[in-house]
Formats: sequence, structure tokens, C-alpha cells
Amino acid sequence: MFGLPVGTTLLIFGFPVFWILYTIGFLVVSKHWKDEGDQS
Amino acid sequence: MNTTVILFLVLYYMVMVGVGVWAMRRGASDDLEGYLLGGRNVGPMVTALTLQSTSMSGYMFLGAGSLAYTQGYWAFWYAAGDIGGGVLNLSVIGRRMRKLSRMMGSLTAIEYLENRYPSPATRLIAASLSVFLLSAYVLAQFIAGGKGMALITGLPYSVALLIALAVIIVYTFLGGYLAVAYTDFFQSLIMIVGVAWVLGAALIHVGGLSAANAAIAEIDPTLLSVWGKDLGYHGQWGIVVGAVLVFSIGLMGWPHVVTRHMAMKQPTTARRAGAYATAWNLLFVSSPYLVGVLAIIILPNLEDPEMAIFQVAYTLLPAAVTGIVMAAIMAAIMSTADSLLLQTGSIASRDLYERFINPKASDREMVMVSRGLVFAIGVAGYVIALVQPPAVFDVVIFATSILSSAFAPAFVCAVWWKKANTPGAIASMVTGASTSFVWEVGNLADATTLAPVTVGLLASTLIIIVVSLATQSISPVPGHIVAVLEETAKVGPIPKHLLSASDFALSPEAEQIESILGQRREER
Repeated sequence: MFGLPVGTTLLIFGFPVFWILYTIGFLVVSKHWKDEGDQS
Repeated sequence: MNTTVILFLVLYYMVMVGVGVWAMRRGASDDLEGYLLGGRNVGPMVTALTLQSTSMSGYMFLGAGSLAYTQGYWAFWYAAGDIGGGVLNLSVIGRRMRKLSRMMGSLTAIEYLENRYPSPATRLIAASLSVFLLSAYVLAQFIAGGKGMALITGLPYSVALLIALAVIIVYTFLGGYLAVAYTDFFQSLIMIVGVAWVLGAALIHVGGLSAANAAIAEIDPTLLSVWGKDLGYHGQWGIVVGAVLVFSIGLMGWPHVVTRHMAMKQPTTARRAGAYATAWNLLFVSSPYLVGVLAIIILPNLEDPEMAIFQVAYTLLPAAVTGIVMAAIMAAIMSTADSLLLQTGSIASRDLYERFINPKASDREMVMVSRGLVFAIGVAGYVIALVQPPAVFDVVIFATSILSSAFAPAFVCAVWWKKANTPGAIASMVTGASTSFVWEVGNLADATTLAPVTVGLLASTLIIIVVSLATQSISPVPGHIVAVLEETAKVGPIPKHLLSASDFALSPEAEQIESILGQRREER
């Protein structure tokens, strides 16, 4: 893609995709955090 | 000297001062918690952006551009970790650190470490390491600021450096955490706009990314690979892992960054802040590296690779736009420099001077110590940056590698592992810092193909586990700490008895300063 070797393409686009998935996973797993309340 | 550019820069500084003054008035700045942590009232968007802009620094515009200009796409290994640094930090320690620091009454990252791992040695070692490393880190910001100012004003480097240094120091004295957090927020938006403008202009100039890569392949095809120029890093996974770790996991060991967790409005602020941090990083992080790569074609005979992004902006953009871009670059430098100086000054005055030298220090004395140190850092920084300025990239990697190695396991285990005790944490900090330092200074990375941060983090992680387990019988974690750790693990409001029992009780020096501030309020 864009005239880049496969490894470089994976480096440039693969890591951002990984971190997007990580963030979505974090948001799903931490859904119950809203129970923390205001006191703390 | 370009008048339009200077005009934009002056306008930018005035807006920043306005934001700082507004933030100071908005916050309860005559209260200790208000001054140091913005009254623990910082929302998710500001938390995310202050965390990101503080950790980015002038490195992104000088170091990142230089690395990409000299090594091509290999530089993206650093971006790969950096993109996730914010969300990783917030998801792993954000909520728990906010809650634990509240229950322990900790107001600074170093005080937090001493409260969690009770011993004067914890604070002495952590504070000394922090002052040394944050000073080195801020030196890189001075050099970056001086170089930028020299290009903008056309003044000699020595004069430009002096101006940049003076602006940064005066700006730091403006206010406390809330002023820093809100100016950081504004600066992070400017950084996005600035870098997007340079990247857009560069891509148009080279005819798009595919055309640029074809042109780079004609100059040197190895620059397109993930192994660096002439495949210099081929198969060196220890170096690659270090490049990914230093701005991702490593970020959890930077005191000036983890302080952001303690200032959040609620522990749950970490959740939305994590999403905002990823969004901001996706927009920003890769761009400076890409501009550095494109500069290979645009400016093939650049004398100083650290000036790659500055020069691309200067070459391709009209003066008014260059002014905005230069403001963005100075924003990156200043948003890190003010946080670093604020942290270094408060660590020197509170965590070293008041704690170990003069426990009855007056408020005025502490301010004098703090400002004296900031001034000394400025003078020393000016001399070093003038006589033999090291590369911004080298200084940033040196300081951040040691910070990460020394503190990341201690901060992570502080909230996740009840058995992590004082001997384990102290041994971990000393081992991590010294291993990484020896690796850096001895240049062992080349011989072993292992980056200092890789070795340092591995050593400090192993040591905290082994020493904590080996010393459980002679140095168990105190019961009141186990109790707050168990509460930290739960998701829910802090029980009142834990709040009242621990609030300031574990932090006598914080209580003392609070009483001084209370007296001042009464006098008014």
C-alpha cells in the first residue's frame, strides 16, 4: 500500500488498529465504573 | 526575521497567559489541593489532552522529525507505542491511582509513592531521581525552544535560547496545576492544527504518499523498511521492543504524567479520558514522523535533521500559517516544559527540602527553594545548551528510559499487587534506574542489541516481585494500606470511614502546608 513494503504497512496501520480495538475493549470492560459515584 | 510569524507568536503567548489567568481564578488556588491538583476537579477531555500534550514535548517536532529524516519509516516503531500510551496508562492505573491517592491524602506523585511504600528512603530516592531526570528532560525542551526561536526571529542561537528560556520560566511561575492543565488543553488543540497543516502542505508538495515513497525508494529503498537506513536495525528486536515500550508502558513511570490521574474529577474520569487520548493520538502522533520522512525529498540537503519539520513549514507555508505552526511547536515545547518545571520545583521544595532538610520551612522558604531550583536549572540548561547542546532525541530517550525503568513497576504494583512492599519498591527503583543508566552511558545497546528501557523495565519488574516476596515476613505491607488497597480494587464510592481516617493522616507535611494556607486565608 502506498508503495511501502508489507512490514512497513503493517507497522503504520496495524498498531493504530490494535490500539483502537484496545480502547473499545477498555470501554466495554469498564462499563460498570459509573457505579463509582461522586463521593470519591 | 519574519514579522508576521512573530506577530502570531506574540498573539499566541498573550492568549496562553489569558487562559492561564482564567484557569487560576477558576480554581481554588489558595487551597493546597486546588494548587497542586486543580482541586481534583479535572474532567475527561482536559485530563486526556493535558496527559498527551505533557508527554509529547518538543521531542515530537524535533526528535521525531529528525529520527524519521535520518532513519525513514523505522521511526514509526516509536509512534506505534505512543499511540496507545494514554489509554494504556489510564486503563491500567488511572481509576485506581485516583482513588488510592484520595484515600491516602497524597498530593504529589512522590508523596503517593511514600504513602504506599512507607519509608523516608522511598521519598528520598524517588525525589532525587525525579529531580535529576526531569531536569535533563527539561534541558531538551530548552534546546528545542532555542532552536525554534532562532529560526523564527533570525537572532543568533545564544540570544534566541535566552529568550526561549526566559519565556518558559516566567510562564511556569504563572500558576499551579489547573493553569497548566488548561493551557495544555488549548496547546494540544493548536498542536493538532499545526502539524496537520504542515503534513497537508508536504503531501501536496510531493504529489501524495505513493509518489513520495517512490521518490524515497530511488534515493535509498532501505528508508522504506521497518529496519532503518541500510537495514541498520535488522532483527534487533530488543531495540524494537524498547522503541515501542518507552512511550507506552514506560509512560506509567513518568511522575509528571501520572500526576494527571490524581487530579481527575472522579476515578471513572479515566474511562472517557482513555477514549479521548486514543482519538487525539490517532490524529497527532504519526504526523510529525511522516513529515520527517517527506522532508527527505523536500529538503534533501538539510544540515541539521532536527530542523526538518521547522524547515518544511518555513519552505512550504505562507507566513501567517507558519506563525500558527510555529506557535504549535512552541506549544508542544512549553506544555511539557512548564509541567516539568512545576513538578521539579515542587519535588525539590516539598519532597526533599521540607521533608529532609528543614521540616519547619515556611511557605515563603519553600517557594524560594522551588523557584531557586527552577532558576538554577535554567542557568545550567543555558550553559549546556549553548556550549555543547546534545540532540533533543538523545536527551529525551535518556531521561524517559530511566524514568520508565525506575518507576513504572512501582506505580503499577502500587495499585494492583497487595504484596508489593517497601523493600521491593525501593530495590526496583534503584535497580531499574541504575541498569538503564549503565546501559545508556556504557552504550551497551549496540553491543547487546537491547534497548536500555527494555533491560531496565525487565530488571525493575523482576526485582519488585522477587524482593517483595522474599521480605514479606520482615516487612509486611501495613494493615491500613492493605485496607485501602482492597477498597481501591472495588468499584464504588469510598466509604466515609476510609476517607476521614486517611485524609491527610498519612501526609503530615501536606497537613502542615494546609495549615499555613489556612492561616493565610484567615489573614485575608
